[in-house]
Amino acid sequence: MANQAGTNFKAQERLSQVSNHVSGSGKSALLEKRPDDIVVTSAVRTAITRGGKGGFKDTAGADLLVGAFKGLLERSRIDPALVEDIAVGNVLAPGGGATEFRAAALAAGFPVSSAVKSLNRQCSSGLMAVADIANAIRGGMIEVGVGAGVESMSQNYGPGAVSEFSDLLNSYPEAKNCKVPMGLLSEKMAKDRNIPRKDQDAFAASSFQKAEAATKSGLFKDEIVPLTVKWEDPKTEEVKDLLVAQDDGIRPGMTAEGLAKIRPAFAKDGSIHAGNASQVSDGAAAVLLMKRSTAERLGQTIMGKYVCSSVVGVEPLLMGVGPWKAIPVALGKAGISKDEVDVYEINEAFASQCLWCTNELGLDVTKVNPQGGAIAFGHPLGCTGARQVSTLLYGLKRRGERIGVTSMCVGTGMGMAAVWVAEY
Amino acid sequence: MIEFRTQGFNGYSIKYSPFFDSRIAVAASANFGLVGNGRLYVLGLNANGAAPEKWFDTQDSLFDTAWSEAHENQIVVAGGDGSIKLFDISLDSFPIASWSEHAREVFSVDWNLINKDTFLSSSWDGTVKIWRPDHQSSLLTLPIHSCTYSAQFSPHNPSVLSAVSSDSCLRLFDLRTPASASNHLTAAIPIHAPPKAMPGRAPPMGIPPSEALTHDWNKYRDTVVATAGVDRTIRTFDIRMPGQGPVAVLPGHEYAVRKISWSPHLSDVLLSASYDMTCRVWTDGSAMGVDQGMQKPDAPFLGPGKEMGRMGRHTEFVTGVDWCLFGAEGWCASCGWDERVLIWDVRAIMQPG
Repeated sequence: MANQAGTNFKAQERLSQVSNHVSGSGKSALLEKRPDDIVVTSAVRTAITRGGKGGFKDTAGADLLVGAFKGLLERSRIDPALVEDIAVGNVLAPGGGATEFRAAALAAGFPVSSAVKSLNRQCSSGLMAVADIANAIRGGMIEVGVGAGVESMSQNYGPGAVSEFSDLLNSYPEAKNCKVPMGLLSEKMAKDRNIPRKDQDAFAASSFQKAEAATKSGLFKDEIVPLTVKWEDPKTEEVKDLLVAQDDGIRPGMTAEGLAKIRPAFAKDGSIHAGNASQVSDGAAAVLLMKRSTAERLGQTIMGKYVCSSVVGVEPLLMGVGPWKAIPVALGKAGISKDEVDVYEINEAFASQCLWCTNELGLDVTKVNPQGGAIAFGHPLGCTGARQVSTLLYGLKRRGERIGVTSMCVGTGMGMAAVWVAEY
Repeated sequence: MIEFRTQGFNGYSIKYSPFFDSRIAVAASANFGLVGNGRLYVLGLNANGAAPEKWFDTQDSLFDTAWSEAHENQIVVAGGDGSIKLFDISLDSFPIASWSEHAREVFSVDWNLINKDTFLSSSWDGTVKIWRPDHQSSLLTLPIHSCTYSAQFSPHNPSVLSAVSSDSCLRLFDLRTPASASNHLTAAIPIHAPPKAMPGRAPPMGIPPSEALTHDWNKYRDTVVATAGVDRTIRTFDIRMPGQGPVAVLPGHEYAVRKISWSPHLSDVLLSASYDMTCRVWTDGSAMGVDQGMQKPDAPFLGPGKEMGRMGRHTEFVTGVDWCLFGAEGWCASCGWDERVLIWDVRAIMQPG
């Protein structure tokens, strides 16, 4: 046979066609472009900066949102009047930030006809906002929408974030577990699930190294909208204009050995510390969504499509395992196997839980957070889910890959995941 | 039930001759059509059962076949190597014509019932081509841009044809329209669109798109087309209302539906063949009258159609099924990956009521 390799390849292709018929899905079906696909035509974020210290420490969350909205409108060149609804994920702002976010949309140039809501599913609020808008488009409620997320942990993070539990809630053990602080329960999970500090530090160091390399080679430039904000110099108390165009939490030259020296934060014999947990940060992100047919009619550039998402509940004390439970559900809905995914953006709430989920799911580590994660550049709670979309879609395009998953664990014991296809 | 074994070859398509009630063609492939030869069987039926009158071997797998409507001995086959071959069954061994224009597997061929000098083919290369047996190249190529599993001429209008493809879309073409930008495309119907909402009820939820594998024009109602595929559901559409969603929805198969065929005798009856190893007979409910159609409180959007019976004698994927045009209404033939051709009477499997 002159062309044996070709024959084998053809047989393989035919086999996968038939197996797709039987399984009812598969990668090829996922990559098809259909007029009623929900597509992303623009995804932007602000830089993510260190809570209380970084570039946005003196900027209100809503102002960050204005910046992200303006960047989205500028880059997509969409007529703002076409945007019918905006969902903003946020965790800490009083009253959910609903009033400020409506005002932020108006300040950013959206007309009064663009509705705004805020929603809170803890650390997955940003993804929830994007999924909510995608579902509203799919269900025919709106045609064009924005899913966004914002968090100013500088301004809103602290003991006041959760009100006191009532006696009623405290009388149910599992309900009471919902208020156990993240650090404590993650420490316990790391112990229970046998995740040694050495592995956590190695994972965290690699996150820093990947993020440092990505920033140095300008990989985040596509997605970051530079903002000029007021910033008070803590030494001189002088207020000046500061251009924030880069994540400022990424500590250069970080190694596992360096991290090994940091004192545990939650228990003397613990393994979790400031260097292998997500940073407290400020930031905002926004994603413009519509049907493919709408995007084509409006001449919008399609970056990728939203395929599906999943939400699951887990034990409150084991909230870190959320992605482990949510990712297979999302993959099942999309009809693909874990190996068909090119990139996983899994939020690094803690190195311990992200590493555990990666290992337990048997994911290829090189596919997880290829440009680093929240340990390196921070986790502005409500922003993260929307932030992952821009990081993922630009990253897939740059690497010439197609299928991505975003996922995160959610405080009080939940997990979310979503499947995306990059188009370029 | 009459049985014939296509030893060493897995059936892909079966077609009764439009000229003789005792002649059936089967397109089959070695190794489940993944790699290796194809074989076209021409079976003769007699008092003792079915026997091969002839067979033709091909280099690559065969996925479909269609009898000429003009010449009783001529038949085309769809090849895995992208070729289309025309055989004369009164001759031995070699095809009398062969065309190689498709870049990938040809998956369906269909002869025009009215303009009997034309036939078409559809391919995984995302095109439909129209041919004449006496022409060395195709007359026309229609782009679909998606793996096209099935294409067909309308049995009512020689210029109208349809195609279903991986992108969950039923496309209609009218060759009388100017080619211009749309390449004769007159409608593209999303197969997965939900049925039309009924007043006073919550609107039906959309379902995800999935590959469409087969479709067939109703032989009596010239605007009705049935489709089926990976989502295991058969749907009928009225092409006068392309945006209205399906008229009838017939769920029931447990795996993808590979082939559907409307009855040549009854306007509401169709047969299906599926990866779930069954053939099923259905009514789309159009012959039942309005009253009965409303009596389905549990599934108000599915319409009045229902399954009327099933044949479960195949032991592997059933890939082809076809009705006999002649004699007593209800005879049909099916083929499958179990290397068996079964010839059976639909009336024998229909449940009362």
